[in-house]
Amino acid sequence: MAAPTARARSSIRLERRSEAIAAYALIAVPMILFLVLNIGSIFYALFISLWKWNVRSGPVDFKGLENYGTLLGDPIFLRAIQNSVYYTLVWVPLTMVIGLSLAVIVNQKIRGRTFFRAAFYFPAIASSAAITILWIFIVSPDGLFNTVRGAMGLNPLFELFGFGPNKNWIGDQDTALNSVIILNAWTTSGTFMLFYLASLQSIGNQVYEAAAIDGATAWQTFRHVTLPLLRPGHYFVATVAVIGALQLFDQAAIAGGIAGDPNNALMTMVLYLYNAAFSRFDFGYAAAVGIALFVVIFGATLVQRRLFGQAPSW
Amino acid sequence: MRRLLVLAAAASLVAVACGGGTASPSPAETEGPGPSASPGETASTGWDPTAISGPAILSGWRSSPEEGEALTQALLGFPAQYPNIQVDYRPIAGDYRTVMITKISSGEVPDLFYVNAEYAQEWIDQGFLAPLDDYIAKSGFDTGQFFDGYASIFRGKDGKTYGFPKDGNTIAMAYNSTIVTSPPKTMDELVSAATALVGQSGLAAPICLNPGLDRGLAFLYAQGGSLVSDDGATEQISTDASRAAVQWYLDLFKNGIGKTAADLGSGWCGEALGKGQVAIAFEGGWVDPYMASTFPDIKYGWAEMPTGSSGSPVTISYTVSYSIGADSVNKDQAFVLLTYLAGKDGMEKWTAGGVALPSRRDVPIPAGKEVLAKGSDYARPGSGFMPGYVDVQKAFQDAFTAQIQGKTYDAGPVVDATRAAIDKALSQ
Amino acid sequence: MIGRAATSNRKGGAVAAELPVGDRGAIWRRRIAYAILIGYALLMFVPFAWSVITSFKTLPDSVRLTIIPQPFTLGGWEYAFTNLTPPLPRLFFNSAIIAVVVTITNLVFGSMAGYAFARLRFRGREVLFLIVLATLMIPDQLRLIPVYLLLNFLGLTKGVLQYAGVMLILAVSGTSIFLLRQYFLSIPREIEEAARMDGAGFFRTFWQVMLPLAGPALAAVAILQFQGTWNGYFWPLIILQDQDQYTLPVGLSQFRLAGGMGTNWPPLMATVVMATIPILILYLFFQRYFVEGIAASGVKG
Repeated sequence: MAAPTARARSSIRLERRSEAIAAYALIAVPMILFLVLNIGSIFYALFISLWKWNVRSGPVDFKGLENYGTLLGDPIFLRAIQNSVYYTLVWVPLTMVIGLSLAVIVNQKIRGRTFFRAAFYFPAIASSAAITILWIFIVSPDGLFNTVRGAMGLNPLFELFGFGPNKNWIGDQDTALNSVIILNAWTTSGTFMLFYLASLQSIGNQVYEAAAIDGATAWQTFRHVTLPLLRPGHYFVATVAVIGALQLFDQAAIAGGIAGDPNNALMTMVLYLYNAAFSRFDFGYAAAVGIALFVVIFGATLVQRRLFGQAPSW
Repeated sequence: MRRLLVLAAAASLVAVACGGGTASPSPAETEGPGPSASPGETASTGWDPTAISGPAILSGWRSSPEEGEALTQALLGFPAQYPNIQVDYRPIAGDYRTVMITKISSGEVPDLFYVNAEYAQEWIDQGFLAPLDDYIAKSGFDTGQFFDGYASIFRGKDGKTYGFPKDGNTIAMAYNSTIVTSPPKTMDELVSAATALVGQSGLAAPICLNPGLDRGLAFLYAQGGSLVSDDGATEQISTDASRAAVQWYLDLFKNGIGKTAADLGSGWCGEALGKGQVAIAFEGGWVDPYMASTFPDIKYGWAEMPTGSSGSPVTISYTVSYSIGADSVNKDQAFVLLTYLAGKDGMEKWTAGGVALPSRRDVPIPAGKEVLAKGSDYARPGSGFMPGYVDVQKAFQDAFTAQIQGKTYDAGPVVDATRAAIDKALSQ
Repeated sequence: MIGRAATSNRKGGAVAAELPVGDRGAIWRRRIAYAILIGYALLMFVPFAWSVITSFKTLPDSVRLTIIPQPFTLGGWEYAFTNLTPPLPRLFFNSAIIAVVVTITNLVFGSMAGYAFARLRFRGREVLFLIVLATLMIPDQLRLIPVYLLLNFLGLTKGVLQYAGVMLILAVSGTSIFLLRQYFLSIPREIEEAARMDGAGFFRTFWQVMLPLAGPALAAVAILQFQGTWNGYFWPLIILQDQDQYTLPVGLSQFRLAGGMGTNWPPLMATVVMATIPILILYLFFQRYFVEGIAASGVKG
């Protein structure tokens, strides 16, 4: 016979145990999926990347690190990295600036702010496939963009930059990637606006009141109060944006096909991976591309950590 | 015991040789047991296609809805002959090569499908296609009627046959007969006729041209250039003649005579011709059903490829095979369907649809295809004549596009890039 | 930062420096600012409006700058209806079944795991939650080859099982778990403890007390997940090799590549419109949840 206190202690222990069992049961399915499909995948990918692996018949030859050597020696892969990095360096700041500007605007007490917020987010609702096809149409030689600038008499201005009246923007090696950047800045700035809006609203009123008492102008307040306080927001948006940017695939694949035409202008790292798997028939090589992609993204995250300081405590 | 087995095998070999009915079957053709017959019974049971039953999935691309319609028409004659085989025709929309590779990698392939000459050797090497030799031997299907220029593309390095050419096509000149009244016969005439058309109202450019070897190869050959030597051992794109030919082709773009379909805002040159954006396009038979249905008001005619500096008529030909997937579970049905579609009757019905020319001697040339058929007398293969041709094409097209879009029009980098790709392909 | 619930969207809670009212300059500045804002907002709709207009045009008319189609035709829609592979109803069905199932699994597994991570104490909680967060950082494409081979091995890249393949990959996302965990953290403990006092077990507490309270967060996750899956391109493109199983985005992108379709704009725009309509309707009715769901995933920062 145990003493009452001991019985209470053991019932707490029992309670603890049943709590843990309940917890494991609740998280079991997602954790198994994550461990197999995410964590396990990395190791499996590492293994596959050491082989020549036929898409139909499986492993053919053990190649060691040869796939990685081939990869680094392929000018098209280097072009893919270059394109992805260029895209990231231009698209991320551009979209962040637009997103932040929109957020600041709809955070004002202005008439119709709900409408503006809904409108600015609107382009983000469509699928990448639909919107890319729509975009290809708009920037095609006879598309809306060219006809409107023609009708507005802007062609001489474009001529200065060497752009003819019927330019195929997304089919030209010099403007294809920039066309995709503008497309995605247009569709994604609304999402970034919402991210920033959440951050802006977490800034208390007091700081603004203090700034107002100090006689700061609107710009000064924004520059010296809002912007620094948004630091965690920047970190979050930038992280999400960079990871997304380095994974650019849908728009490039739809506009440029599996080869990233024209002349590899739309060949991105992920498109290269897809191409390696389903155009060169070598899963081993493709797995090596995936590992390389992971290394690049991981590196980019570390760089950002340096730029924006420690990650927020989530 | 072992001796008995050897004897049985030898007997079956002899039996196949006699029963097959082919003139001179080489031992290679009868090697190995068929997928559904053990060596001992091959000859005695024979091959009765009407007794074969079950489904067969047939896939291919559709260059236009009309092409799908033409194939459906051709298939109408099949159930009458082989009522026990249910054909399920599933055309593939989209990027055919990529879609097929995903199907192959998942193991769920159509039973019979198109294989473009362009990548046929690659797919044979990768083991994606089933060899047909056992079936040919068993069924006694006469392969002698195929033009060898087409049929040879689908033979592997192992000497086995991996598909029958389903049809052929040659590249010729399609011209808007309202604008061009007498089609040019030589490349010089083509240039002067086109130069006269530059700036004509309504025309975005006189000629729609392809920025790659897809059609450019015909011009390269016509102007005395080449990609590889006749024995296929060395590259020839860097010879002076080839370099000059590439430069000549680039100059068509430089002088505003030609534009690409993409720069015209069209999907392909046939569409540009149909829209009236250009007066001349270089295409094949697939233009006809497309124009009839999409642009019935445009009047156009066909003329042979103009002769170039080489002096003799030159063009290129294309072909596509019907092949059986290595992982097909309905190979017997697929082969019966193959012998129907690539046979005399099936091909005659198919080519009547106007998409392509027959690849068999015993099928008559359909009406309206006389010019294209004439070209097949002297055409050289437009693809599939060398290993790794997909990469060579890509290298050429990328470099060529860069020259057009960069407005530099220099053959040098195009030749260098193509040469590197050819050397790499030949060394593998 | 962590405790903020998905719905705590305090309208006008904090307003940056207001424009001074009264003097003429300011009024004009205000007017110009509004003009720019309205212009920019309209710019958001122009491409979509253009796709709707173009879908009712003929091919020659589609490249002209006319607002009213001349002539007005349903040809593009007819063409799209008759030539899409697989037919349009099938595309809708495929997209819907995948999006609905994936949304449900994310709600079920996301709320269960979110609750466990928010409230229950168990060994390895920190490490396991780190794994959840790590899945947000690992690029999806890294797992393309291994996951594809695994699904191949399981036979989930064949026939109708391809649906299951896509569903399995998307069954539960780290984002869903994360969002719901944050929401559960923001619910006062007392409510739950009262239920526990009454003798309810962990599952009953979760099911009868916590889940009903999480309604707004569940709605936000459901909307985001549905939209993301409906619009998803990468995994369906790779797993759904059989075109009978294509979703709308995949079918649409392949339709453009089909013979003679590259620049046949009216039917292409008709399919673009059709693919967008379901999400548009969802957006019109549940705009609040779109906005709040995304804002909530951003509150992380």
